[in-house]
Amino acid sequence: MLFSQQLRGELRKLFARPRTWMGYGAFILMEAVILFVYKLDRSQQYMHAMLERNGLDFGTYYSSLSITFTIMLLSMFLLGSIYFALVAGDIVAKENEDGNLRMVFARPISRLRLLLVKYAAVSLYTFTFVFFVGVSGYAMAVAAVGWKGGLFVMEPKMKVFAAYPDWWEGAGRLAMSAGGIGVSMITLSSIAFMFSCFKIKPAAATIVTLTILFVDMILQSFPFFKPYESWFITWRMSAWVFIMEQQISWPKIVESYAFLLGLNVTLFTLGWISFQSRDFKT
Amino acid sequence: MLVASELSKKFSGKPALSGVSFHVKRGEIYGLLGHNGAGKSTSLGVILGMVMPDSGDVTIDGISVLRDRSRALRKVGAIFESPAFYDYLSGWDNLKILMSYSGGFDATAARSVVERVGLSRRIHSKVRTYSHGMRQRLALAQALLPEPEVLLLDEPTDGLDPEGIKWFREFILKLRDERGMTVLFNSHLLAEVELMCDRVAILREGKRVFEGSIGSIQDDTRFFEVDFEPWGIACGLVHSAGGEVRAVGRISLPATMDPAGLVETLVHAGVRIRGFSPMRRSLEDLYMEILNGAGSPN
Repeated sequence: MLFSQQLRGELRKLFARPRTWMGYGAFILMEAVILFVYKLDRSQQYMHAMLERNGLDFGTYYSSLSITFTIMLLSMFLLGSIYFALVAGDIVAKENEDGNLRMVFARPISRLRLLLVKYAAVSLYTFTFVFFVGVSGYAMAVAAVGWKGGLFVMEPKMKVFAAYPDWWEGAGRLAMSAGGIGVSMITLSSIAFMFSCFKIKPAAATIVTLTILFVDMILQSFPFFKPYESWFITWRMSAWVFIMEQQISWPKIVESYAFLLGLNVTLFTLGWISFQSRDFKT
Repeated sequence: MLVASELSKKFSGKPALSGVSFHVKRGEIYGLLGHNGAGKSTSLGVILGMVMPDSGDVTIDGISVLRDRSRALRKVGAIFESPAFYDYLSGWDNLKILMSYSGGFDATAARSVVERVGLSRRIHSKVRTYSHGMRQRLALAQALLPEPEVLLLDEPTDGLDPEGIKWFREFILKLRDERGMTVLFNSHLLAEVELMCDRVAILREGKRVFEGSIGSIQDDTRFFEVDFEPWGIACGLVHSAGGEVRAVGRISLPATMDPAGLVETLVHAGVRIRGFSPMRRSLEDLYMEILNGAGSPN
């Protein structure tokens, strides 16, 4: 009961700051641009050719579900990560910088509990943000191309190729994959959260997190690292794509999410140890 | 009620506190004085569990802050100099959030406290629109909401106008008188400390160099206002008798010395005595004496 009251307060703070809403605005804009591009003749011709090459019907798969999938696939790691790192990197470090923490520390709340509340808020923000992108992307796609049609999935890096002609099945897979992306992105927020607990500026927490993410992505793309790809965070974070396979590879998904869970717990613990051992001067 | 025992703390090898102890009795207003860097804020940080001491402990109503911080702080409210609220939220939302860390928010109790501190009209405005005085009132409201028995005040009147300072002082004194609240008051404003506190401690370079009641400081009759002629000869005689000339027309005598003996010596030497009266020593006199290196008079 008290935890939920504290969490509500944390969310109230989070959503009262303009920087939290920046991500929502950026995604709406990006979705509008992607939809505009999708509506162009050349773009439709390209889609037509690609679907036909794969023996699929353009009329079925040039759909709102396929567009939504593309939006989520392309944008989450590159654009979404900026906002997750920004919000999670701020959540502790910014309050320390602004002096709010000393007001909180005058209260009988333990540092561990305070961090748990903040971590829960960041995780909720991350998870719901992914759904927002999915829902808003779908709503805009419906406005542009109508709601009918199936789902076409192509992710060369993870070697996933699938087509769902039935709307219900496609929509179900898309919803499940949004859940998967949400859970994956919590790892990114966890990295930023850990740095936020350290004695550094909020901007530094954000930048260091994005650096780690991008370095991980760059190294992963080197052929030398191909045999070790499963050790890369971003590869594990991409495991949500397996939800899209015709036959879902549950063992691969469970293994990756267990890896990410372990990583999240480790990151939180490191952040907590640093936060717990620090002196906060009045 | 609040006992700090042998607190020591070093920051990067530099001592901030060296064996500082003090005891604030229930219902007492206790002042903590000292220059910047003397250790006042570090002491407050240790009391609130924000700073981990290298050694020593603090207990509040018998509960150790180091061992059971959450339970110890349940009875504590604190106000800091320039309190940092969430400026982008209203005063009311700030109270809600801060109270969620203290066992839950009670809207009825909050309304009553807000009314008492005189912030009812603006409590739903964003804090960024508040004046410094209004922020201090909000700080007072958040400190009082958990119904504390101990109030920690860190430079609470800094930046307030004289009217605000007076209001704040009267409010705190009323709290003590009506609720028997224990107050630890950390301030640079010596006149305020003198008007509010029952006892004070002075810190210098992380050490406690004085502790005593305001009454005992004021009643100290070792200081005298004098008018001697010729002044030069009188000064020499005061010195040779073991006294000290503090300024023109102002001397101090050792506690063991009888002022009548000095008067007799002066008269015998032909010094005309136009005035000789015990002086009421202010806290400022004592403070300057100690911090100017006269050592501990206690």
